[in-house]
Amino acid sequence: MKPATLRSFLPRPAIRRRIFIERNYAVQAPGNPTLQVFDRHTKYLQKERAAANVERNRQVDYLKDEVAMRLTERLLDINRTFNHVLDLGANSCNIARALTLPDPDPDPSKTTSLPLSSRVSHITAADSSRAMLYRDAELPFNQEINLTREVLDDEERLPFGGNTFDAVLSSLSMHWINDLPSVLAQINHVLKPDTPFMAAMFGGDTLFELRTSLQLADQERRGGVSPHVSPLADVRDMGGLLQKAGFKMLTVDVDDIIVDFPDTFALMQDLQAMGEGNAILGREAGPIKKDVLLANEGIYRELHGNEDGTIPATFRMIYMIGWKEGPNQSQPLPRGSGQINIKDILGGGEVK
Amino acid sequence: MPSRTRPIEKFAQAVAKCSAEASVYGKCIVADYNSVHKDKCLTEFLRLKDCYMAAAKKS
Repeated sequence: MKPATLRSFLPRPAIRRRIFIERNYAVQAPGNPTLQVFDRHTKYLQKERAAANVERNRQVDYLKDEVAMRLTERLLDINRTFNHVLDLGANSCNIARALTLPDPDPDPSKTTSLPLSSRVSHITAADSSRAMLYRDAELPFNQEINLTREVLDDEERLPFGGNTFDAVLSSLSMHWINDLPSVLAQINHVLKPDTPFMAAMFGGDTLFELRTSLQLADQERRGGVSPHVSPLADVRDMGGLLQKAGFKMLTVDVDDIIVDFPDTFALMQDLQAMGEGNAILGREAGPIKKDVLLANEGIYRELHGNEDGTIPATFRMIYMIGWKEGPNQSQPLPRGSGQINIKDILGGGEVK
Repeated sequence: MPSRTRPIEKFAQAVAKCSAEASVYGKCIVADYNSVHKDKCLTEFLRLKDCYMAAAKKS
């Protein structure tokens, strides 16, 4: 006789819990396997901590505000109204704030020109850091734009349905994404047909001064190097990545912002206060050693320093625009079909 | 409420008093930065560090 089984008498959750093992198919674009470069949890903690010091965090918003402004200016080129816009990786809603600023390029033929926010009916600002996202929830600009904040579990997995948004913007957040091809494909999925995706992110040569001088300091003081500055996407890669994700009519361009600091410590403190500290997997535990910092100060100044005693830090912004494919979208003409020589329009052609 | 000075700020203030030594050390590294090895500029570094220690003690 079969022994009496207890299983049917056990409360259901006890069984459930055992079989509840989460399994996922690996999500990725075809091609190479995904490399994990950044520690997303550390990044989350850094942002939460940075935003906890509200006053200091606002002080160092100069970069994010500037880039958000330059990014939203590009919206002016698109003569449309947007019903629902997503700001992915919103930080402290810098894009929403930039949208409420007065029109940066007013039309002289009109007496009044409305800020860009008048063309955006609804914007959803999404970020994984709650403290950062809600930092400025009390400020007056919130009343001037229809803004919803949404805390994401992870910026690498978008919880939105397909064909939801009329535009997706992202400013200074995508440089911390591990699996860029997958995120770009997801963005393409949540966009409605024939709508734009616009983003700005740190790229290639950002902070190359700090990267090189810390490497030299590490090398001389300790006989080896450890990663202190993130690897970043290159301009040339972005075109390919956008194309792979299915975007059409791509525009990718770069823009350098050089900020002068009094010394290397001011630079590093500002980066930390922005929540943009080092979050590479496999970085050394603990802060940088004092000896290395001391050596770094001397090397940075000699190698890159300005004549007036300040030190420059380069931030290279990559701006990208891609359109989701849609019917009746204008297409690029086939190669070689041009009828007019561009030299005739621009004139000259001789380099003086 | 006056905020507490962070250790890094004290550190930065002390280092700022040793710009001459820092510059000598930096020049030593930058002179040939393709072949930097451990303790390449040890004497210059120790001079910089001594100066920093003295400056840190004073403040």
